Amino acid sequence: MSIVYAVFILLLVWFGAAVMSLEILSSNLMSPYFGGSIYIWGSIISSFMVHFSVGYVLGGWLSRRFPKISVLAAFLVVCSLWVLMIPLIYQPVCEFISEQIVDVRLGSLAAMNAIFLVPISIMAMVSPYIIGITTAWQRQSGLTAGMVLFISTVGSFVGTNATAFYLISLFPVSRIITGVGIICLAVSLLVLLLRIDRRIRIPDPNNCT
Amino acid sequence: MKVNIKMGMFFLALLWVFSAIPLTAAPGSQILYETDSIYHHITIRQEGMERCMIFGRQRDLRQTCLDLEKPDASVFEYTAMMFAGFLFRPDAKSVCLIGLGGGYIPTVFRMHLPQVRLHSVEVDPLVEKLAAKYFGFSVPAGQTLSIDDGRQFLKKSKERYDQIWLDAFNSDYIPAHMATKEFLMLVRSRLTEGGIVIQNLFCDNRLYDAQIATFRSVFAKVFVFEGRKSGSCIIVASDRPATDPAGLGKQAQRFGGRIGRIDLFAEITKCKASTAVKNATVLTDDFNPANLLLMQKK
Repeated sequence: MSIVYAVFILLLVWFGAAVMSLEILSSNLMSPYFGGSIYIWGSIISSFMVHFSVGYVLGGWLSRRFPKISVLAAFLVVCSLWVLMIPLIYQPVCEFISEQIVDVRLGSLAAMNAIFLVPISIMAMVSPYIIGITTAWQRQSGLTAGMVLFISTVGSFVGTNATAFYLISLFPVSRIITGVGIICLAVSLLVLLLRIDRRIRIPDPNNCT
Repeated sequence: MKVNIKMGMFFLALLWVFSAIPLTAAPGSQILYETDSIYHHITIRQEGMERCMIFGRQRDLRQTCLDLEKPDASVFEYTAMMFAGFLFRPDAKSVCLIGLGGGYIPTVFRMHLPQVRLHSVEVDPLVEKLAAKYFGFSVPAGQTLSIDDGRQFLKKSKERYDQIWLDAFNSDYIPAHMATKEFLMLVRSRLTEGGIVIQNLFCDNRLYDAQIATFRSVFAKVFVFEGRKSGSCIIVASDRPATDPAGLGKQAQRFGGRIGRIDLFAEITKCKASTAVKNATVLTDDFNPANLLLMQKK
């Protein structure tokens, strides 16, 4: 059972950190094309909120439909591959959108969604998915929903500050994103390989014993 | 009980004294207006005949000032040095200025260099309104103004200029997307043959070295003016300047040694052909810790 929790905590901390690291880095991706104003931050934060809400709904629904960590991990593999592609696609995407849309607010919003909708929505599925599985699996003794959100938020705190205060001055943005993508991929593959689902027995909801 | 009342009175008196301090600290200084725009916290303050527009809360650093009686007097050293930089392309007919502030630079162009078509670019619409209301700025005949991000403006505009002036940089924040190699390549593509770029910045931090390295990666010649009265420095860069620093005196002579109240002969002594930079990396859109470097003093 302890390895199950270790995996949950790993997923929560790492993807909590990755989400915020990418959020900080996205301002560097946007500013050459749309400027460095508060509009850019408005677009970044609001589009991440949209991606979060998509991820929360999807994660909650999927955890009920397929209460298996392997399903979540498979989604995370897709998400990691997308993150690895961002350094290759962001320039042509931003270039194209900034030429089509003159208004920087609309332009940066469109670019943020084109680049980040898929990976951030999938990353946002992690918390509701784990809440769904733990509540179905161990109604009494499992991680509480509050604890799950706490752990993931601690990860976000570390991801935000490590990126903004240190990583940006040490490495090129594209290399940081590639690094984040590689770790995302490694974590998701590790979780798949560990086959955690064998250790999680979801009781039959019709059986009241 | 009596003691408590006494103590209370004492603290009240203390509070009154402390609240009065800001008023007594700057005699004759008066805040005319204070507001938040989408980019800055802006304060308009007047001291004697000097009226300043101050950005941010770090009150004495990021500002643009105008002497109300002598609107062409350079209150700051950096603007005087920028006009000395003008001598590297003295026959300029068109200049693009990024960063309007209180409109001091356009005023000097209007009064003393009327042959130049100046196009100013300011990102903050409120700065233009305040410049008009408190600094008597209006776009003079022969000049134009765009409200736009400097980089976006240059990208969209296909026009070429003899000089491009970058004055969008402050002591505690710079628009990082206008500090990169890609941006300077865009600037270079908007210059005419022999055109120059003049940039204002502070010399006491690591960003200064990185900026010099970045300019050198794009332009064949990079000169600097090092301020003596202030921490300001000016970078002048070009592929084919009209003169080298040694020849500036001759160019200054053509202007009678002055542009308005600016003493060109005094300013050109601050110019250096080269400056040593240590461990400086070229800033790019990809690797751009500009604002972190700005905070690291040398």
